[in-house]
Amino acid sequence: MARVRMSMEDYDYLFKIVLIGNAGVGKTCLVRRFTQGLFPPGQGATIGVDFMIKTVEIKGEKVKIWDTAGQERFRSITQSYYRSANALILTYDITCEDSFRCLPEWLREIEQYANNQVVTILVGNKIDLAEKREVHRQRAEDFADSQSMLYLETSAKESDNVEKLFLDLACELIREAKQNKLDNNDNDRPMPGEGKTISYLNCCSLT
Amino acid sequence: MADSSALAAKRYDSGSLSSVSMETISTLTELEDLEKVYQQLCVEEKEVEAQLDRLVGQEGAIHTKMLALQRMGPNLQLIGGDASQLSGMITFTCSLAENVSQKVRQLDLAKTRLYNVIQRADDILDLKFCTDGVQTALRNEDYEQAAAHIHRYLSLDQSVIELSRQGEESSAVDASLVLLQEAEQKLKVIVAEKLDEAVAAVDLAQVERFFKIFPLLGLHQQGLARFGQYLCSQLASKAEENLLLATGGDLGEKRALMIFADTLTLLLEGIARVIETHQPIVETYYGPGHLYILITHLQQECDRQAQKIVDKFILQRGYHNKFQIVQSSMMKSAPGERIEPRELDPVLAEVTLMNARAELYLRFLRRRIMADFEVGDAQSITQEHQQNVEKLLKHCALSTTMQELIGYYIPMEEYYMRESVNKAVAMDSYEKGQLTSIMVDDCFYIVKKCISRALSSSSIDCLCAMINHANSLLESDFREVLCNKLRQGFPATTLQDIQRGVSSAVSLMQSSLQQGKFNTMGIESTENAKAAFLVTLNNVEVCSENITTLKRNLENDCTKLFSQGFGSGEQAKIESCLSDLISTSTKFKDLLQEGLTELNTTAIKPQVKPWISSFLSISHNIEEEEFNDYEANDPWVQQLIVNLEQLMAEFKVALSPVIYDTLTSLMTSLISIEMEKTVLKCSFSRLGGLQFDKELRSLVAYLTTVTTWTIRDKFARLTQMATILNLERVTEILDYWGPNSGPLTWRLTPAEVRQVLALRNDFRSEDIKRLRL
Repeated sequence: MARVRMSMEDYDYLFKIVLIGNAGVGKTCLVRRFTQGLFPPGQGATIGVDFMIKTVEIKGEKVKIWDTAGQERFRSITQSYYRSANALILTYDITCEDSFRCLPEWLREIEQYANNQVVTILVGNKIDLAEKREVHRQRAEDFADSQSMLYLETSAKESDNVEKLFLDLACELIREAKQNKLDNNDNDRPMPGEGKTISYLNCCSLT
Repeated sequence: MADSSALAAKRYDSGSLSSVSMETISTLTELEDLEKVYQQLCVEEKEVEAQLDRLVGQEGAIHTKMLALQRMGPNLQLIGGDASQLSGMITFTCSLAENVSQKVRQLDLAKTRLYNVIQRADDILDLKFCTDGVQTALRNEDYEQAAAHIHRYLSLDQSVIELSRQGEESSAVDASLVLLQEAEQKLKVIVAEKLDEAVAAVDLAQVERFFKIFPLLGLHQQGLARFGQYLCSQLASKAEENLLLATGGDLGEKRALMIFADTLTLLLEGIARVIETHQPIVETYYGPGHLYILITHLQQECDRQAQKIVDKFILQRGYHNKFQIVQSSMMKSAPGERIEPRELDPVLAEVTLMNARAELYLRFLRRRIMADFEVGDAQSITQEHQQNVEKLLKHCALSTTMQELIGYYIPMEEYYMRESVNKAVAMDSYEKGQLTSIMVDDCFYIVKKCISRALSSSSIDCLCAMINHANSLLESDFREVLCNKLRQGFPATTLQDIQRGVSSAVSLMQSSLQQGKFNTMGIESTENAKAAFLVTLNNVEVCSENITTLKRNLENDCTKLFSQGFGSGEQAKIESCLSDLISTSTKFKDLLQEGLTELNTTAIKPQVKPWISSFLSISHNIEEEEFNDYEANDPWVQQLIVNLEQLMAEFKVALSPVIYDTLTSLMTSLISIEMEKTVLKCSFSRLGGLQFDKELRSLVAYLTTVTTWTIRDKFARLTQMATILNLERVTEILDYWGPNSGPLTWRLTPAEVRQVLALRNDFRSEDIKRLRL
């Protein structure tokens, strides 16, 4: 499904990654750090969604990154991107208990709008502000475990783990895409639809 | 010198230390020895003489040199005198020059001081003039004049004034200064009062008059603030009037639907007009770069008034209420209150119009502010300036309010789209003779309408969100509908099968299954099910086409939008969302392919297979007589062609040309495979081979007429088989094989060639085995 081969484009895989999470947890800074290698001081609130493309150095893989606004009033715009996302980066701020407490609400959103094959990773950002930490690593890890999500702590400011976050995710997505391809080959015909097994040929002579 | 001393030493050496000493000589007694010594001494003498001659010879040269040196003596004395004279002259010149330049410096200093004095005198005169002038002007209420004097005073160099106060006339200057400062304060108060009065009296001429005086007094900020206040109050009263009219009065039905968008438009247009009218006065009297400040003042009022309009809109249209109903019905929870999508039409149109107006207005502001900054100095537009402008425009209450409205709009528009499409699907019907059913047209009409409405909001994010929603609706929900219809399958007709007297095991089994299923339904419903399947195939194809068209049209629409000036980031966003439509279109193509394969398997294969296998019952082990008989009464191929024609006729009228063509292609592949299998089960005589060749030619000729795809390639193997079956003798194959094959490319392997040769009952297997292929 994620495999795209267009004659004019020079990539094998194209993945969509969407960043979500409360306002001010540093989604835009993570994306900027990864795509442009800079940390914009005094970054204003994102309006709607921002869009960036980056080619990752793994097997000609391209990732489209959608950086969404955290503010409530943009939620309905943000939600429209969930369904086609291959991966979601759910971000919170380790120095802000509130942003951690909102995670279940975000998970409900994911449950409701995203496709069920989406890869979700939990990210605790701003570890450079260790002295202001409000959410303990163990707590976050436990939470991520309970939701069977990957967990990573990052600092967009110090560039800690940012590269790793996106590259790990890219590897995971490639792995899944290959797995899917194998599954599809087993069935010997392309699977239409996403996640749902629609194969009317199996039942046509009986219905 | 060194040479000569060395020479002297040598001489001395040879004198005293000749190789033979006197004592040695005196001790000599033998003649022979004496002679030897004598000889030696003679040689030494000669050497010494030669040396002496050389030295004497040098004397002349040394003498000339000495003479020359003696002649140069007086000249050197002359040069020494000249040099000391020159040195004296240079020293003199130097001191002279220093003398002169010092005088010039002094002159310069004197000149500068003189200028300063003149300047100060001028300033003092000005100061006096200003002092007098201000008094007179104030008495005459000529505030412009007074302000001009104050402006002159303010632009004087403060240090000069300080210096003047230290002079003899200090008391007089002091007095003037005090007077001036008093006058300045007084004027400031008066101007402020007068402006307030004028504002209160709504006297635009007076307001503008005093507004122009403020910058002269160095009160730019204050002036702009007060003027802004005045303009705001004007705007406020006008806006309130408009809002009252909007909510109170009787309006035409058409206007009533859009009244809040209209009111907002009036407000924003009013502000834009105000900015346009007053920009020149601000630029002239306050200088470039000040428009931004005035606009920040105006924007506050704009935010207030816009909020009022939006609040009223939300209240009167029940916007939040509608949103909540929509949201709860989208959650698919208990079937509570539902809204007719059609009821949402007006409010959705109004919201998008409101947002479009706000966007237009904000773009106008950005253009004006940036242009004003640029007039000042294009280079001086700092990051800070830009950030301020961005902050003003993106985070003003008008923007956030609109963002909120759009935030509610998107789910409602999505609901509208989903519900309408569901309705279109539920009310689907098709007229006989039409290739597609009305559902597809309806559905795309709705999708296009919703996306166009989102586009009309001028909000890129809103448009992208609706493209996303439309895409997921088409890709999963709508595609599923078509998929489900195809899943019903294409019913095989028992009746037809029996009529045609076909009784292969496969179709019998299928018939009984179909009978079990369709026993309650008449032939008519079977016909309907068939038609439904074929119509759905056409629908799928049209969908795929429509999605591509939709994408292309949206691209064109967006180019128009981008020409109004949007960032490249925005463009990339749209392009990315639109590119998703292409993969959806591909998914529909895949579905079509699957449906066709299904049709081929259930409707064509069971029919065609027995027709082909009936070939077995026609003997090809024939002699002249039977061959002629076949010539007269075709035993097989004509019937096959008639059958195929009948079979496909149904599809030809019911399927779009493109799909029909693909289907025929599938069918021809099927025929060639089945034929091949069948032929390998037969045995042929020489004439039987000829008969088969004839039959194959007729079949290929027929199939070529019914499809645009190339048939020859698919039948290449069969044609080659016919060639083999037509040979006179086994060895004749070698005329066509290997180096003799010419343009012919063999699709049969050597083993297959042998297998086919073996079908001829008159070919001996030893001959075939002996062949070297």
